[in-house]
Amino acid sequence: MSDRSLPRLLQTPAVLLLLVWMLVPLSMTLYFSFIRYVLNSLRRPEWTKPAISNWRGFGNYEFVLNNKDFLLAIQNSLLIVCSIIILTVVLGVFIAVLINKSFPGQGIVRVLLISPFFVMPAVNAVLWINMILDPVLGLQGLAIEGLNQLIENLQNTPLLGNFFSLWPEFEPISFRATQTSAYAVIMMVTWQWTPFAVLIFMTSLQSEDIQQKEAAILDGAGAWSQFRFLTLPHLGRPIAIVVMIQAIFHLSLYAEIEIVSRGNGNKNLPYLIGEFANNNIGAASATGIIAVILANIVAIFLLRMLGKTLME
Amino acid sequence: MGRIVLDKVTKSFGETQVIPPLNLTIEEGEFAVFVGPSGCGKSTLLRMIAGLEDLTSGELHIDGADMTAVSPSKRGLAMVFQSYALYPHMSVRKNIGFPLRMEGMSKAEIDEKVNAAAKSLNLLNYLDRKPAALSGGQRQRVAIGRAIVRNPKAFLFDEPLSNLDAALRVGMRLEISEMHKRMQNTMIYVTHDQVEAMTMADKIVVLQGGCIEQVGSPLELYKTPKNLFVAGFIGSPKMNFSQGEEASRRGAATIGIRPEHIDVLSEAGIWHGTVGVAEHLGSDTFLHVHDTGLADSITIRAPGDVNFKYGDKISLSPREDVIHKFDAQGQRIE
Amino acid sequence: MAIVAQTSKFAKFARPVLAWCIGLFFFFPIFWMVLTSFKTDADAVKPAFLLFFTPTLENYLNMTENYDYWRFAQNSAITAISATFFNLIVGIPAAYAMAFNPSKATKDVLMWMLSTKMLPAAAVLYPMIFLAKGLGLYDTHILVITVVSLINLPLAIWMLFTYFKEIPKDIIEAGQMDGVNTWGEIKEILVPLAWGGIVSTALLIFIFCWNEAYWTVRLTTIDAATLSKLIEGNRAPEGLFFGRLSAVSTAAVGPIVVLGWFCQKQLVKGLTFGAVK
Repeated sequence: MSDRSLPRLLQTPAVLLLLVWMLVPLSMTLYFSFIRYVLNSLRRPEWTKPAISNWRGFGNYEFVLNNKDFLLAIQNSLLIVCSIIILTVVLGVFIAVLINKSFPGQGIVRVLLISPFFVMPAVNAVLWINMILDPVLGLQGLAIEGLNQLIENLQNTPLLGNFFSLWPEFEPISFRATQTSAYAVIMMVTWQWTPFAVLIFMTSLQSEDIQQKEAAILDGAGAWSQFRFLTLPHLGRPIAIVVMIQAIFHLSLYAEIEIVSRGNGNKNLPYLIGEFANNNIGAASATGIIAVILANIVAIFLLRMLGKTLME
Repeated sequence: MGRIVLDKVTKSFGETQVIPPLNLTIEEGEFAVFVGPSGCGKSTLLRMIAGLEDLTSGELHIDGADMTAVSPSKRGLAMVFQSYALYPHMSVRKNIGFPLRMEGMSKAEIDEKVNAAAKSLNLLNYLDRKPAALSGGQRQRVAIGRAIVRNPKAFLFDEPLSNLDAALRVGMRLEISEMHKRMQNTMIYVTHDQVEAMTMADKIVVLQGGCIEQVGSPLELYKTPKNLFVAGFIGSPKMNFSQGEEASRRGAATIGIRPEHIDVLSEAGIWHGTVGVAEHLGSDTFLHVHDTGLADSITIRAPGDVNFKYGDKISLSPREDVIHKFDAQGQRIE
Repeated sequence: MAIVAQTSKFAKFARPVLAWCIGLFFFFPIFWMVLTSFKTDADAVKPAFLLFFTPTLENYLNMTENYDYWRFAQNSAITAISATFFNLIVGIPAAYAMAFNPSKATKDVLMWMLSTKMLPAAAVLYPMIFLAKGLGLYDTHILVITVVSLINLPLAIWMLFTYFKEIPKDIIEAGQMDGVNTWGEIKEILVPLAWGGIVSTALLIFIFCWNEAYWTVRLTTIDAATLSKLIEGNRAPEGLFFGRLSAVSTAAVGPIVVLGWFCQKQLVKGLTFGAVK
């Protein structure tokens, strides 16, 4: 077709912009990762300028890879992302199947269910860590205290009391500590994204073949068999999509981590970068490049696997 | 105006060649029908003429001018799509007037032409409706109106009647034929329905696997099909084929005889068989006869009041002068 | 949708109950937040006042008077609206090109665009700050809008692409036969037919731009700071200001959640790139 070239050119602004957005900062980061560059140094003031004379080669990378927090950060990144994905998918499938059949108020329940997804991540984090999970003042604290109170009261009753006297007093969990903060983050992000998974799965379930189900029933398939052999395969593609989208969004999780742990708790990779960036830009950049490489590996892997399904 | 010549035209999708080198001429004012089974390339060919598909090689000439690389709208052709492809957000008036607006015509002129087209298609009362509020037949007419209004050198129809129900189809068929007689434009019409082909065409192009099997007038194709494929494709119910003794006796590898050319009323027929399923339409009776020694089943069209039943013995008298003979390659023997 | 003769009486009863419980459970934190916003800071931490308390608007009043709240809110609005607008201006032609005139590379280009979202922001933070300060763009609207747009541009293009792809091919071909040029194709056919999709995309991109917290916090100090900064600044660790916190959060989040309620279907369609209908 003769005039196909003009329309194709229309993609150029978008492509160019994204290219610049990707390349310019990234190449700078690459550059920084190979030099000594810090924000403040009394000993070596020449390191506060990003000059090429400060070339360090792979020194920054060595530093980072040997850093005690590095491996931990990667582990945390992976732990958090994988946990969130698994939880959201499992919960998502379960809930979607549950609420898919119509019942009074189904529309309202749907609306209630998807609300968490639109909450700002910062609000999400602040809400959870302060108001809900806080060991003293949050709901968790109040609940544990209430539980303890209840047990205490029960301990004072005549017969049952003996039974309950064996029960320990419950300690509320502080979610700001190193390991538990990861759980807090997993909880809050799962809360936020399960609705997304539910929505996707519910929509997919709408297109399930009823006649196929009826044939299966006639063949004697019970509810579990129907789920295992009909519903689950049907959901295969949406599950793949949900996994992919969440991987994209969660690998760069930052706000929640920062707000929850405030430095003292659990670190994932982006957080580690931020930490380094407080002073050692060189190290931060090196970590950043490593993070980018890792993210790209995941991206290529995922996109290759799932890209075909998406593009039909 | 409207002479279309395809010269050594081929089409490949990637590695696969779907149309090997093909030559075809469509004369001015002709109603040409491309017909063939699914996947034979008839729609592809039409779209190549329209400009919606590129020619992999070869040339396309319209009225002597080389249009091979010209964009669709500049070829002076108009197309009616199978799904009508009306602009759903525009009224009938705007739909029909759209190509004129693209040409830059003045509003007054556009209105005049749109009204003229609408009048000839009985759409005057629907000009302000949107396509969603129209019936299938009306939408079809809007699509035709949009084509007419451009005063094209030739009209291209891509299976326009497939989406209509049977009754409507017959009516629209007549309308399109009448339109052709009135307007005298060249029309190229694609269909898989050989009844449409036979009733509407001046010239039928039978295609299979991207190749032209035969080009000719309907009666030519009916009376003298060039090969087994054309013989079996044209005519409904299908021609009966027989290999074996009856064929070799007449000096052919295969013989063919049309259902309407076998008489069943005489007792002295040369072939005999047992009646299987008998289909009574009132106007005709279709008998499926077995155990004739010719083929598994022979279909016969008999007058409507014939009342053979399942299991009856029957005697068949074919008309010798219209037995078609084909050689071992499937080509016609005279 | 129900399969006949399969649901036992128990299931009929248990299902809605369970569903409602789960729905309420998920909504609860939001509900709690809104509720708390009407409590005084002191009340907010007293277990006795969990559900029964004297509601007060004091937090909201404080917020709108003391915090220079309106500037933050305005910046959020300016950023989100401008970024959405920009994404549409750039994204519609791009998605048009890819949907109506695909080439062999189109699929790869789309995938690549998506992969730019996986870039950990922290990796390029420092260069961005460096550039921003160097170009004198630190804490300006231009910078924030540009960055927020670019983050969401891939999403916008993907969503628009899936909507555009739904326009039946033969309407486009009819347009070609009718002599429509590129601009005409966009104006006369694409935009009217894909209008619903364009609006949906705009709404969702607006939501994501509004919710953006990373760059809006780090690339601004005062002038261009958005509500996300206000919230981050408000996260006083030991929970003395729950009331106030809730009010700010509710105000920041409320309109978006409601908007989201209206966008459910488009959300699914757009975010799954049309693969789930």
